[in-house]
Amino acid sequence: MGSSFKTILKQIACFFLILTLSGCWNSRELNTISIVMGTGLDKPEDGEGVLITAQVVKPGEIKASEKEGTTGTDSNAYWNLEREGMSTFATVRGFTHQASRRLFFPHNQVLILGEDFAEENVRKKIDIFVRDPENRLTVWVLVSKGKAKDIFYVKPELEKITALSISNMVDAYAATSQSISVNLKDFLTRIMSDSTAPVAPFIKIAEKGGKEVLVMEGTAVFKKDGLAGELDSKETRGLMWVLGRVKSGIIESHFSEGGEYVAFEIVRASSKISPEIKNGKPCVKITINEEGNVGEENFRDGLDLASMVKELEGKKSEVIKGEVMAALKKAKELNADIFGFGEKIHKSYPKQWAKLKDNWDTVFNDLEVEVLVNAKLLLTGEIKTIEQGK
Amino acid sequence: MFRYILRKVAFLSTCGKNSNEKYKYKEVEENRLCTDIDQNLEALKNILGSSNDIITREFVFAGEGRVKGLLVFIEDLVDNKIINESIIKPLISGTPLIYKKENADNVNVVKSEMLSVGDVKQENSMDEIVYSCLSGDTVLLIDGSAEALIIASQGGENRGVEESKTESVVRGPRESFSEDLRTNTSLLRRKIKNPDLTLEKMKIGRRTGTMVCISYIKNLAAPELIEEVRRRLKAIDTDAILESGYIEQFIEDAPFSIFPTVSHSEKPDVIAAKILEGRAAIMIDRTPFALTVPMLFIEDFQSPEDYYSRPYFSSFIRIIRFLSFLISILAPATYVALTTFHQELIPTNLLLTMAAAREGTPFPSVLEAGIMVITFEILKEAGIRLPRPVGQAISIVGALVVGESAVSAGLIGAPMVIVVAITAVSSFVVPFQSDTGSILRIILLGLAGFMGAVGIMMGLLVLIVHLASLRSFGAPYFSPLAPHNASGMKDTAIRAPIWLMDTRPSSIDRDKRRRQAAHSKPEPPKKQ
Repeated sequence: MGSSFKTILKQIACFFLILTLSGCWNSRELNTISIVMGTGLDKPEDGEGVLITAQVVKPGEIKASEKEGTTGTDSNAYWNLEREGMSTFATVRGFTHQASRRLFFPHNQVLILGEDFAEENVRKKIDIFVRDPENRLTVWVLVSKGKAKDIFYVKPELEKITALSISNMVDAYAATSQSISVNLKDFLTRIMSDSTAPVAPFIKIAEKGGKEVLVMEGTAVFKKDGLAGELDSKETRGLMWVLGRVKSGIIESHFSEGGEYVAFEIVRASSKISPEIKNGKPCVKITINEEGNVGEENFRDGLDLASMVKELEGKKSEVIKGEVMAALKKAKELNADIFGFGEKIHKSYPKQWAKLKDNWDTVFNDLEVEVLVNAKLLLTGEIKTIEQGK
Repeated sequence: MFRYILRKVAFLSTCGKNSNEKYKYKEVEENRLCTDIDQNLEALKNILGSSNDIITREFVFAGEGRVKGLLVFIEDLVDNKIINESIIKPLISGTPLIYKKENADNVNVVKSEMLSVGDVKQENSMDEIVYSCLSGDTVLLIDGSAEALIIASQGGENRGVEESKTESVVRGPRESFSEDLRTNTSLLRRKIKNPDLTLEKMKIGRRTGTMVCISYIKNLAAPELIEEVRRRLKAIDTDAILESGYIEQFIEDAPFSIFPTVSHSEKPDVIAAKILEGRAAIMIDRTPFALTVPMLFIEDFQSPEDYYSRPYFSSFIRIIRFLSFLISILAPATYVALTTFHQELIPTNLLLTMAAAREGTPFPSVLEAGIMVITFEILKEAGIRLPRPVGQAISIVGALVVGESAVSAGLIGAPMVIVVAITAVSSFVVPFQSDTGSILRIILLGLAGFMGAVGIMMGLLVLIVHLASLRSFGAPYFSPLAPHNASGMKDTAIRAPIWLMDTRPSSIDRDKRRRQAAHSKPEPPKKQ
């Protein structure tokens, strides 16, 4: 009895000794941190370094407006901190001089790059967001028209926090496929690639009824790591088709000059990029498979569309192909391989790639691309005409 | 310092041994009866003392021999009707059969021809006679005979068989054991009408002489198990056994573990089921709780009702029980670990809400949780101990003060109240482990406060290693989980249909004998 008691006592003693070793390392109470929801990077007025805007949550305000059940209060649930500095890391740390609480980055939703900031060497300045373990690689990357910091001062109508509203917007737009969603991991993978050009959605401030609202439209295209140009909505979807990232959306097809149209709903879509080297020249074949339904039409009196399925499918393929070709044209104009053709060739023909790599820019410009679209109509939303008298 | 503590402990344990030696049962020469009734009476009076409830009734047997007789009993313990109608009446006014006090056959004649009571024993040891007398039997001494007759005449007030208060069921027998051992064994006998059901009675406790009864099924329970139970029970040498808990603490395998290794129940159907699986039950006089050994950890998660309702719902409820147990020990710890160490693991929107609730509260989360958990324990204890009318007042005050005021005063965050509330409710889902849970909860909370999730994981690891290392009367405590046993898993998180559970738990019935016919699955009659 004595011995087992002794062992237990020893175990308990050891246990408590372990506790003294650890202390409360890294423990921080919720009310000693300020949660960063969005970060903006801008070029400062006087040129050098970086201007960082961090949008942090004011938990007290969230609580207050919840209690009153109104959002009409003037006080914001967020607070934007701004700081200029040489290195991004030091500037981020420097926020402690302005805020009473330590900034907490894991819940950062969006990283917005100002237009002028994006024009220059992006990689070197966002390095810290990869190295620091507090940051997540799932942060949405966006490029703002104008200053990034201004974006954070737009008060959203539905959400309490601007950054959260932008993040939701990115999520929602990804489903309509006319805008792209890019997280930090995708962005950096593209930056680090030899050939692929990084892309990010554009966000801008628009005036509507005397109120500032945020609009997400178009895609920023980077060459190496500086902003090179822009894709519009159509071209963006073209890019999405090739990347196989179209999940949902509406395809509008004009039937005649007289305003007759049919709108298709995309149910599912996939793509395949197959590179090939013919006679020492690389070429790429893109196969896009799409399935969808008829959602709306305005050109027939009867509602029966069953007889014209083939025709409709052809129309749809045409539109898709048009979008892809537009994107391809713009990419060649900008000389930016946004589709990742280079990487595909690299994977399939590693030996030949070694030679192609160095002058990929010229090769891409002359690249022969074949686009094959298989669009299928699943349902026409068929309604049979009811015969009179029955 | 460590060595100092160890020395103290060593000293304490030797101390214990010494006093044990002194306290050793003195083997005295047993007093026996002699043939002279007056001497016997004198001796009995010496032992029994001068208490007023001890009745010594002298009488003369019917007949010309005028042989003297003596009845000794304790008036509050006996059934007066038996004494009057079945003992005194036939002896005094029945057929005169006792002629001479020298007749050696007198005892037999009285026993077989005069007394109209079922249970009559012959005895000449003074200790036994005194014990029988104190247990409510009547002692009959006959002049000239060195043998006494012990006539069963127990009576007096007993609580009847009532509905179980601690283990209530919706479907299933309502009856529960009462304080009287004989009632309890009768309840068991009525459940198992089989001659193999063996009841072995023994007396434990030097001052209380409590009757303890080992019950088992002869060909089912392993003989080694029964031998071990006997050995451990016999080794108990103490003053008093007042409740099953006394026995439990004297015979358990791991006295320092916070987990019980002896199971208890107050329901005859539960005890019967356990006996029928090959366990041994220990029933103790004057308490409605019976013990069963060996005990497995999962037994506490099994309710008798699981077997009475159909398997789907039973399995669902089993899973709920396991989940509740985990919630009850882990919820406050996890909450503290998440809010003070791992905020990045909380979904953003939830974090915002929690941060909002946390705003302005003065204490660190771990302290906040500690206060709430302790408060809950206080309220619970108060609720149990207080008389019912006052108890209601306590619960109102508790709910108002803790639930409402503490939050609105900004002392405690509202999420913490929710966490502690769900913890409290969960802890009652597995009532047998709720004591263990209370302690584990506080330990894990402390660990979480120190080290976050790492602390919780450490605590859980130690816990599982400890559970897997325990044994109860030779059976691995954590089986069938570890050592893993596939057929035993039929009665853990999933309660398989009864007709599938062909064998008894293998850690208890090692021979894995079938308990029902193969292919017991019910089937509709085949079409002709």
